[in-house]
Amino acid sequence: MINPRLSNAIPKRRILQKWLFPASVLGIYGILFIEMPDKAFQAFECICKISVNVLFPFCLVFILMVFLNLFLTPLHITKWLDKGVCIRGVLLTMTAGILSTGPIYAWYPLLKNLHKRGFPNSLIAVFLGNRSVKPFLLPVMISYFGWAYTLILAVLNVLGTLLTGYSVGFLVKK
Amino acid sequence: MKIAISTDGHDLNSRVEHRFGTSRYLIIIDTETMAFEIVPDLGANGQGSGMQAVAVAIDRKVDMVLTGYCSPMGEEYLSAHNIKLLTGVEGTVGEVIARYQNGDYDYPRPSVPDDRISRDKLIHALKVSGEQIFKIMPIILGVILLIGLFQVFVTEEWVSFIFTGNRALDTFLGACFGSLIAGNPINSYIIGGELLDFGVGLFGVTAFILAWVNVGLIQLPAEAAALCWRFALVRNGLSFVLSMLIATLTVGILSFI
Repeated sequence: MINPRLSNAIPKRRILQKWLFPASVLGIYGILFIEMPDKAFQAFECICKISVNVLFPFCLVFILMVFLNLFLTPLHITKWLDKGVCIRGVLLTMTAGILSTGPIYAWYPLLKNLHKRGFPNSLIAVFLGNRSVKPFLLPVMISYFGWAYTLILAVLNVLGTLLTGYSVGFLVKK
Repeated sequence: MKIAISTDGHDLNSRVEHRFGTSRYLIIIDTETMAFEIVPDLGANGQGSGMQAVAVAIDRKVDMVLTGYCSPMGEEYLSAHNIKLLTGVEGTVGEVIARYQNGDYDYPRPSVPDDRISRDKLIHALKVSGEQIFKIMPIILGVILLIGLFQVFVTEEWVSFIFTGNRALDTFLGACFGSLIAGNPINSYIIGGELLDFGVGLFGVTAFILAWVNVGLIQLPAEAAALCWRFALVRNGLSFVLSMLIATLTVGILSFI
């Protein structure tokens, strides 16, 4: 997977912050087990059901992530960007957006740099829009919504990002 | 021949920066014409992932990199793009160029890109994937735990009070809720799936999923800081409208299949 902060170790504080949310919800469960054990057991059953539902798609997600990490590096993405507004440039920007991962904040410095160097606003919008299409996460979506829905949504979403890109290019002049 | 040299300043009297990856400036010199270009503001400032200088070197199609030290990962990328690397270089940029032209340095062997999947590459890919899963896991776990509570305490009547079944209103509300929250798309699939079980229509759920990933009110200031307010507002506004439009189209097409 393409994450610009690939080699950065995660600071301990940030790890703790991330686990604060599930820990707080677990705290609520703790109170619930004392005050309303029957409700807590019902909620626990729901969690088990959801966990079983997402387990298999998650395994697929992991395998796809490994494949992407094996064959793609952040530099593929930086190479694909910056090709200009031609069909090839748009297609490569879309591919870069689809295959990019990691928090969007990690990509802002790169986009800022491209923006400074005259990279068109329309292609930046295309890149950002296509970040919403994540092929390696689709197994989870398919397990919830089915193939047909997932495929239609993904195709329309990609087409929509082109429309957004074109409109942004038209409305936001440098 | 184009040579990239990591440096701490922006002229030929500047000293060679020891670490290539975190160098603040790069000087790219054409050894035939001696014309040079300064690439400033690499954004590393002595910190960061250290790939910016490597990306610039590849982007500018340099033939060789002269520096004090380059990380193994940076070396791998340079090698994959047939860029020669000479480390252990010290002194000012002018001195280094002179030494280079006098043939004082041993040329490194041309590197051959290796596209085979080695054991190390596989271990690295597994490690990175594991880290990426680990990073998103806390939020996913929290979301699943919250859904458990939601299913027990929130009744279908409550949900139908908000999502009334009016397609247009549900789509709008779905897009609004999706815009307020941001995060990994996988969470929106799980929440969307559970909302469906609660009887929320597919219009609202689809708009929710689309807005979750395309519109980000929380990250709006960061996007504006990087790309300007006008860009951020226009892009997010258009994405909000499109999330409703695409939701309507998706469910419409689906109903015909």
